[in-house]
Amino acid sequence: MTSRVMRDFDLLLPESVPEVLELLADHKDNCAILSGGTDLLVALKFDYAVDNVVSLALVPGLDDLSFDPDQGLSIGAKVTIADIVKSQDVKTYYPALWQAAKVFATPQLRNTATVLGNIMRASPAGDCSLALYALGGDLQLKNASGVRDVSLDDFWLSYGVTARQSDELAISLRVPPPTAGQKSAFQRMTRTTEDLSKINAAVSLTMADGVCQSARVAMGCVGPTLIRLPKVEAMLGGAEITEDLLGEVSDMVAAEITPIDDIRSSADYRRKVAGILVRRVINLALTEGNNQ
Amino acid sequence: MTELKVVGKRVERVDVRAKVTGGALYAADVQLAGMLYGKIVRCYDYAHARVTSLDLSEAAKCKGVIKVLGPKDVTQKEYNASVLDMMVSADMRGVLGDIDDQSIFTDHVKHYGDAIAAVIAISEEAAERAAEKIKVTYEELPVYMTAEAAKQADALQFRPEKPGNLAFQLPEMAFPDNAYAWGEVDKSFDEADIIVEDTFYVPKQKQCQMEPGSYIALYDDQERLNCWTSTQMPKLVQKKLANLFELPMTRVRINATVIGGGFGARLGMVLEPETCALAMAVPGRPVKVLSTREEDWVTSPSRHPGKYWMKMGFKKDGTPVACDAKFENYKGAYYVDASGTAFTTGAWLGGMYKFDSLRYRGESYYTNQSICGAFRGYGNPQTNFVMEQMIDRGCAELGVDPIEWRKKWHKGVGDDGWCIGVPYNSCALDECLDRAAEAANWTEKREKYKNQTGTKRRGIGVAVMNHTSGAMPMLLEHTVCDALLHQDATVTLNLACSDMGQGSHTTLRQVAAETLDFAYEDIHIATGNTDAAGFDIGAHASRTLYVGGGAVKQACEDVRRQLFERAALELEEDVDNLYMEDKIIHVKGSSNKSISVQTIADQGVNNFMNPETGELIGQPGQIQGYASFFPPHNAPPFGTTIAEVEVDMETGEVKVLELVNAHDVGRAIHPGVVEGQLDGGAQQGLGMALTEETYYDDKGICQNNSFTDYKMFGPSDMPKMTNILVENPDPTGPFGAKGVGEAGLVPPVGATANAIFNAIGIQILEAPITPEKILKALEDAND
Ligand SMILES: Cc1cc2nc3c(=O)[nH]c(=O)nc-3n(C[C@H](O)[C@H](O)[C@H](O)COP(=O)(O)OP(=O)(O)OC[C@H]3O[C@@H](n4cnc5c(N)ncnc54)[C@H](O)[C@@H]3O)c2cc1C
Repeated sequence: MTSRVMRDFDLLLPESVPEVLELLADHKDNCAILSGGTDLLVALKFDYAVDNVVSLALVPGLDDLSFDPDQGLSIGAKVTIADIVKSQDVKTYYPALWQAAKVFATPQLRNTATVLGNIMRASPAGDCSLALYALGGDLQLKNASGVRDVSLDDFWLSYGVTARQSDELAISLRVPPPTAGQKSAFQRMTRTTEDLSKINAAVSLTMADGVCQSARVAMGCVGPTLIRLPKVEAMLGGAEITEDLLGEVSDMVAAEITPIDDIRSSADYRRKVAGILVRRVINLALTEGNNQ
Repeated sequence: MTELKVVGKRVERVDVRAKVTGGALYAADVQLAGMLYGKIVRCYDYAHARVTSLDLSEAAKCKGVIKVLGPKDVTQKEYNASVLDMMVSADMRGVLGDIDDQSIFTDHVKHYGDAIAAVIAISEEAAERAAEKIKVTYEELPVYMTAEAAKQADALQFRPEKPGNLAFQLPEMAFPDNAYAWGEVDKSFDEADIIVEDTFYVPKQKQCQMEPGSYIALYDDQERLNCWTSTQMPKLVQKKLANLFELPMTRVRINATVIGGGFGARLGMVLEPETCALAMAVPGRPVKVLSTREEDWVTSPSRHPGKYWMKMGFKKDGTPVACDAKFENYKGAYYVDASGTAFTTGAWLGGMYKFDSLRYRGESYYTNQSICGAFRGYGNPQTNFVMEQMIDRGCAELGVDPIEWRKKWHKGVGDDGWCIGVPYNSCALDECLDRAAEAANWTEKREKYKNQTGTKRRGIGVAVMNHTSGAMPMLLEHTVCDALLHQDATVTLNLACSDMGQGSHTTLRQVAAETLDFAYEDIHIATGNTDAAGFDIGAHASRTLYVGGGAVKQACEDVRRQLFERAALELEEDVDNLYMEDKIIHVKGSSNKSISVQTIADQGVNNFMNPETGELIGQPGQIQGYASFFPPHNAPPFGTTIAEVEVDMETGEVKVLELVNAHDVGRAIHPGVVEGQLDGGAQQGLGMALTEETYYDDKGICQNNSFTDYKMFGPSDMPKMTNILVENPDPTGPFGAKGVGEAGLVPPVGATANAIFNAIGIQILEAPITPEKILKALEDAND
């Protein structure tokens, strides 16, 4: 049950990244990073107890959202979902991410919630996380002794658990530059329009002369973490995408997922619609997912 | 009727400025000197259990704690949070079998969130922290979540006086054969050429009012119990609390605070008994009790869910010969509205169509769900979901157009209304249907959607409904109003009618202004203090404008009568020879003989003596109008909705494209207010049809008592919507008005279900109609 009274904790307001890292080193597991707070505060209202909360509110230099045709996209820790929606570059070069941000929560939430917070939460339903999973990306994790890059492919370990160490701050995410013929898209299903996904899918396809060179296909709400569908990706890679192939892909999807029954939907339903959703998101990428 | 000056106008709502600026003072905003805070300890581990030990000692030692209270530390009297028992005679109460079965704190947990104990402390935080220290152990009991489970022979009995856990069925004494019925149903079915029959499920929908329960109580130094609450029914709650704490009504005062939405969730008492019990334990100190959303969810009533069986018979020519129905609802842990909804669900059914014979049975079973009670529509949405789908199934088998059939066979003027023996006195449903059909392009779309094959299929469906304005003659309907004329010729109305956002204080003021022929600005409505106001049932059954408006009109007519009588004395003329214009009373045909209302009002109060003559100037006495009003009827509102949907055949997802609502509102006293009611009603109707349900796990633990997982239609889910107001003045309503508070919710439920039926050719028997259910039904149909 929730409480009407916020739990006791020390709210720490560092003013620089080094200060953050120092606090993280000091408090380790007994500490949570507060970014937009749209996940953290909900958890604190329920059963999550922690003695220290390190806010990023006063830390400068983390709100950079920049695109460079050679370097790709860089998303700073404080970049909000609304920033993504407003970015013409994201809309043009990374349609999957833009589409995920567009349908994400409500205007109030989009103004507050951050992209990196979404990734750090490690929810198997995260919308922007899923789009980024399909697009691929490297997280920069920093602690007092240095920075390391972790690919999103290796980041989500199990439900709510990530490869981040307790003393690390995620500084930014780098998404590779768009390649020629790359097409991407995101789609989700919800109970009402403004809701968490009950199932979502994102793809990034590299097309040349009508043939799919390579594919990244990711799904959410069908396992303990967001997952990629390697068999489906293999079927698409090197193939011409026809209605027949999409039929086969659609059938294959059910074999690669392990959905459960929960309050948002049933395992049975998710299994039934997963293939349809993947087929649709591929079609969406092919028709509207151009990255130019 | 002469031209209306204020009625029918979109005047500024009395509450709008305070609400949009944040100035409105809700109970949670009220701060009193020396205020303490109460935290109620609830059982969230079990839905059914016996408390085997309760240890308050650690909590009592916590910092800031004033008192810790268990079941024995408060009144042991049982009560019934519902107010239905106060709306019928003592004899009828006996016949219905209404009982008191709730207590402030319990040692027998009957639902998730039942109250065990409480802490009173100097701050909310201290109270919460201490509450965590209360140690309770339980003996788990088997849970009964449905009527089917509760009625099993070996099921644990909730109340000895209710064997079989049957809290209520229509009593034999008033309803022979335990049925609300006419004709001989079994015989009539023999004459039917077509019979349709099925069992449906209707969901446990929640009102989702914005304001979670917030209360303050103070047992003051005059030994008076004061309670600040946003109840819909201040006068009945005053009496209920007086009974519970055994105090005369003069020692109980309700301060009715701004209501942040009601929809039935505040009909009767919610946490007033608990809060007042805490206050009684600390005389002289106000105690505030604030609920979390999750807590409000499981302590305030919901709509009655349950199984609803129905069978209908038709002749080949469409004649409806017989209807047989039974609603077995999953009442919840306590009796509360067990009788009311079980009856009215059938009343709305009986009030709709001209079946040769009809039989309805309603039964309420105790279950380990949270309580059910009043919710906008009061049984009507449940009936609409079932009845209207059955009618459309019948129409499909008969091969007739659903609108044509409904126009031919719905009840109208002169037919028995929802209460057998009380005929309808007005009905404009045909005009509603014609205008809605035209606005929705019904004929064209019905034709167009006949043979679809694609992935996305559209459908268009209709439903109709009858409702009521006030619950007369089933329940008492009575409002007292006095209208005080001030010396500056403005008027304060004093009455207990509440405005829970439906706009009633605005429309009542319009009725007063129109009756008096004063300006809207000349009227003020004083409410919120049960010390001052006379009796009023409270806001329920779409009755505030109809009954409260009747009282306001009568009280204002009384003021007018007195004004004219005084003018007649002053002008030495016959009352019949006078008329009023711009607040000046003139003698007919004589341009210079007149007296202003202002003069009469002022002289009545300031009845000075003329120093020269020694005579009093004008007629003495402040004018006050009075009405103790019992409505003559229940001015039935009728309405229809045409819904258009698009169903995704691969995913089962439903998109509502358009709603056209046409309602017989009698007269729209304030068109904007009426439209607001229809819009808001539609939002809840669509939710009931498509997304809203309270889920429990197999131990009876509620899974979605918050907005995270209880999904209502939000702004972006709402379809294009057209509201058509059909104004056909009711002979008994104030200026012809009928109640519109509930009507808007009802037909979108059936119309949406029928639109889905039209799109996919299958009826989904369980609400809410989720994509999961549609997809399953489509698959089953293919097998
Ligand atoms: C009403 C509502 C609707 C929502 N709708 C959606 C939706 O449609 N789709 C969706 O995917 N999600 C949704 N969410 C979930 C949530 O908004 C997102 O996950 C959001 O992106 C989290 O970002 P944040 O900045 O608010 O994170 P926070 O709550 O601040 O943090 C989330 C977690 O990440 C950690 N963290 C944050 N930043 C860093 C960092 N830089 N380095 C290391 N750790 C960090 C925090 O410690 C915390 O554990 C919704 C939430 C709510 C309340």
